This record gives sequence, C-alpha cells and structure tokens, in this order.
Amino acid sequence: MSAWRQAGLNYINYSQIAARVVRQALKADLRSEALKRDEVNVKFTQWKDGKPASKYIVFILFYLVVL
Amino acid sequence: MATIARNLRPYLRYIRNQRRTYADAATVSNEMKFTFAGANQVFYDQRVIKQVDVPSFSGSFGILPKHVPTLAVLKPGVVTVYEEDGSVKKVFVSSGTVTINENNSVQILAEEAHPLENLDGSAAREVLSKAQQQLSSATTEQDKAEAAIAVEVAEALVQALS
Repeated sequence: MSAWRQAGLNYINYSQIAARVVRQALKADLRSEALKRDEVNVKFTQWKDGKPASKYIVFILFYLVVL
Repeated sequence: MATIARNLRPYLRYIRNQRRTYADAATVSNEMKFTFAGANQVFYDQRVIKQVDVPSFSGSFGILPKHVPTLAVLKPGVVTVYEEDGSVKKVFVSSGTVTINENNSVQILAEEAHPLENLDGSAAREVLSKAQQQLSSATTEQDKAEAAIAVEVAEALVQALS
C-alpha cells in the first residue's frame, strides 16, 4: 500500500496535489490562467419556507499553495 | 420400416433444428475511437488513432485497437498518442482515469493535462526542490504524505522534461 493511502489520503486528495504541482510547472504565460483552478468557490444561501432566509454568504476557499 | 421412418421424420427435423452453432459475433471495427481531455482542455474527441501509451498505477501500458476492457487510475507522467498519420503527441497528465471499453473506444480523463511544450523545465526543478524541502520539514503523517506526493509528481515532471 502506498504511503499516502496509509496516511489516510485517498486518490482524490492525490489528484488535487498532483494537479496543483503540474500547474506550477507551466510556462509563465500559461501559469496565471491555470492557477485560477487552485481556487474553489462555494456559495451558500439558507432557505426557509421557500424563501432565501439569509443574504448571500459567499465563501471563497483558497487552496493555499502548500509548496 | 417405412412407417417408422415417416413417424420419426418430424422428430429428427426437430432435433436437427436444435443444433447449436456459434453465435454471430458482434462486428467490432478495427478502429480505436479515442477521447482524451483534461479539466483545462480537450485533446481528442472520438478520434481514430493507432496507439496510446498510458502511465498508470498498475504500470505503464500501451493500448492498441481491440485491447481487453480495462479500468485504471493514472499516475503522473507522459501520455503518448500515435495518430493515424504517424505523428506523435506527448501530453503530461497529473492524474485521472483511463477506460477501455468493449466497443473499442478509449477514454482518458485527467485532472490536469498539458502538452510537454507548455511545461517549463526550470519551473519543474524549482517545484521539485521546494517539495523536497517541504518533505524534510513536515512533521505530521499527513503533511509528510502530501509532500511525498508533490515530490513524486515533480520528479515525474523533471524526468519528462529532461
């Protein structure tokens, strides 16, 4: 069994790390566009009685560059 | 005697019609339909190609038409596509899946896929040394594992680009 699997990681985690590393090795002119894919944006809105109960709460999760 | 033969005839015919033969095998064309995409770009969409070499966790392997149906997860490395006209295309993939179907179609879906010419060798070496530092300074089991993955991927990049 591979070390990362033993440490509790799965292939999705592996894939995310691998993709991030590949993006960082791109040529400079392509890199800035690709690095946008490091970010994940999630928008939550609470609904109550069929109506949005809260204002839009925008969560912007930046995958802080580990390297 | 004649009566017996006459009475037996329908039964014999029945038995003869029960004869089993080989089923006509569904015709599978000799052409391999290839689809290859990353999250960033589509490289091939149902294009006919000669061969594709794929790095996977169960080893690197080449796919020719009529390959046995297979599923595999990709390892970071170079996918080499041999097109019909003889040209060869090399694309680095981070990770993803490869599916070989019974109907002679092949799909490669990668999280990040870039032609080798879009990658920068010196940037890759930089990423590798950063990852190695990260690995040596990691304390928790998880940090170590994550840094080790980064080192593995960066090594594959450096190897592909040298």
